[in-house]
Amino acid sequence: MTTLKQQLSTPHVLGIKDLTPEDIRLIFQTADEFKEVINRPIKKVPSLRDITIANLFFEDSTRTRISFELAEKRLSADVINFSASSSSVKKGETLLDTVNNILSMKVDMLVMRHPAPGAAHFLAQHIDASIVNAGDGTHEHPTQALLDAYSMQEKLGDLKGRRIAILGDILHSRVALSNIFCLTKLGAKVRVCGPPTLIPRHIAELGVEVSYNVRETMEWCEVANVLRIQLERQNIRYFPSLREYSRYFGLNKALLDELDGPRVIMHPGPINRGVELTSDVADSEHSIILQQVENGVAIRMAVLYLLAVSRS
Amino acid sequence: MKWLIKNARILSATSPWDDQVLDLLLVDGVIENVGAGLQDADAQVFNAGASLLSPGWLDIGCVHGDPGFEHREDLFSLAAAARAGGYTAIAPFPNTNPPSDSQAQLQYLKHHKAHTQVDIHPIAALTEGVGGQAIAEMMDLYHAGAVAFSDGLKSIQHAGVMMRALEYVKPFRGLVINRPDELFLSAEGQLHEGLESTLMGVPGIPPLAEELMLYRDLRLADYAQSRLMAYNISTAGAADLIRTAKGSGLEVFASVAALNLAFDSTQLLNFDSNLKVLPPLRSAGDQEALIEALRDGTIDCITSGHLPLEADLKLKEFPYTAFGAIGLETAFALAHTRLEKVMDVRLLVDKLANGPRRVLGLPIPEIKAGVPANFTIFDPQKEWVFSDRHIRSKSRNSPLLNRHLKGKVLATFFRQEVQINID
Repeated sequence: MTTLKQQLSTPHVLGIKDLTPEDIRLIFQTADEFKEVINRPIKKVPSLRDITIANLFFEDSTRTRISFELAEKRLSADVINFSASSSSVKKGETLLDTVNNILSMKVDMLVMRHPAPGAAHFLAQHIDASIVNAGDGTHEHPTQALLDAYSMQEKLGDLKGRRIAILGDILHSRVALSNIFCLTKLGAKVRVCGPPTLIPRHIAELGVEVSYNVRETMEWCEVANVLRIQLERQNIRYFPSLREYSRYFGLNKALLDELDGPRVIMHPGPINRGVELTSDVADSEHSIILQQVENGVAIRMAVLYLLAVSRS
Repeated sequence: MKWLIKNARILSATSPWDDQVLDLLLVDGVIENVGAGLQDADAQVFNAGASLLSPGWLDIGCVHGDPGFEHREDLFSLAAAARAGGYTAIAPFPNTNPPSDSQAQLQYLKHHKAHTQVDIHPIAALTEGVGGQAIAEMMDLYHAGAVAFSDGLKSIQHAGVMMRALEYVKPFRGLVINRPDELFLSAEGQLHEGLESTLMGVPGIPPLAEELMLYRDLRLADYAQSRLMAYNISTAGAADLIRTAKGSGLEVFASVAALNLAFDSTQLLNFDSNLKVLPPLRSAGDQEALIEALRDGTIDCITSGHLPLEADLKLKEFPYTAFGAIGLETAFALAHTRLEKVMDVRLLVDKLANGPRRVLGLPIPEIKAGVPANFTIFDPQKEWVFSDRHIRSKSRNSPLLNRHLKGKVLATFFRQEVQINID
């Protein structure tokens, strides 16, 4: 890894919004090297030896938590895991007190998943360790967007001018916002599509197109990143039923077969099979959902490594 | 006890000495003489150095916690914060625990010892327990000294309750105050709905939530032919609605919070919870419209929006933090810092001293011999950095800590009580 002398422009990775296109390219370049590492028989490098990383998960997560933990272990970091349901923490010790307690045990970096938008920014304003935002409510999920864009680039090459659609629940998705920031920074054309109630009113000001028609959007795009319907984040009914959603906004094979050619299908997981995506689409040869997961480890290794480099 | 105030420029339209730099001699809290070159060897001297002197200011809608939340603010700390900010009178909201919805509660406020520091003109609850469902004993509350009726921080949602309240207060020309906010629209909102809320991934509060409710209130006030104050409007559309209503002859009033004049929603991009307030900080365009509405008389007064909260309610993740900021100590300085170049300080002070009293139907303190002292001395040119030591409130939830401000209250004189501020 000695060939890389560049550093990220930020001390934390709180969101894609704060990263420059150069940061993103540096992360991709670093991920290329780590991807090669994790495909070796010995998948481990000593890059983060003596660095202690705490994974703080205040919200349920399977793939992101495992992906980060694997990334950390493959970089030889010391890892501690903390999970708590947000409600118990809300009632008791404050986030800041919890984190300060953990930091007093000499932790260098934090990876945090939290249900509140801005939680990672809040911590960054009050503590010293480097922070990687592993998803803060409906705000950002930067490493997911990085691995998405990295996977698209693997498939299509340079993303400049490429047409990417983000389908589904844009309003409640941290992935959508990070995707938009990341893809527009890389020069791609982005269109969001879903029912009007699930599309934030001012989203077009971020430089994306808005559509309420899935078929039209699929005809237009080269890649469709299908988002999960976030029922768990909806206290208000934004659409009438899953049945209606899947019928008018879901992707199925019949719809894809009518297009002029194949489209790359992505999903950040976990999939609501039969709702936003039917199984024959999710598991088709044009789906790169599992490659996304694989790339996730390399991307997270790159992010952690680059942050550790700037720390030292 | 005698005080001699030297070299104060009097800012009082009703005073024969308006805009003149003069001296005032106070004896036992009463203005004995106003004139040039006054001398008194026994008097303590305060040299105003040609700073301005206006009738003492009044804040409508400040919040305290006496009783129920005294750890946030009791009446003494509220009075001290008010005095530090130039206020000699307050009309606090009823959001205590229990709320001020009974004559007994009002008696407590009316006879509180803090009255030696400031005049307290209570705003009584509009509904029982500020529950928004059944109108409170407003006749009785009026006779116990309520100057207006409102559920304060809680916006009245029920149109029928609002209409009955507007009708019920007519025999005694009561004033109903509502903060317009349609809660079904602002539901989970955390800040102004716009580009910033989108960038932050946080639900927004659309201007429509305020305007729709204000429209309802204005129609109800018209229907009932009663008196209404819209507390702290924040949008250009709301200002237009008030302007039209006033133009049609309705007896309606409106206020704006100093924070809404000074900041817009872009300031929240770093998730600063101390700027999470209601009404939310809006767009730059809304700000301009609010300033214009102050200028043309659409908006009658500027409020501090003072809402004290303990640290635990602010020092956490943005969506979990409570709405509100303290503001009594800084309302003038903040508004003046923002408006200095676009609004004459005379008009600004009118919105702090006279406007609130016109809304509540209270007499404006005069600056002349023979009346009790009730005035504020302030220097619009003085630059300072607001810091913790300037806070008299029990709470510290100010977005202005360590910020540079222009314009400072130097002293307030209220009857026998003299408060001279620290630098």
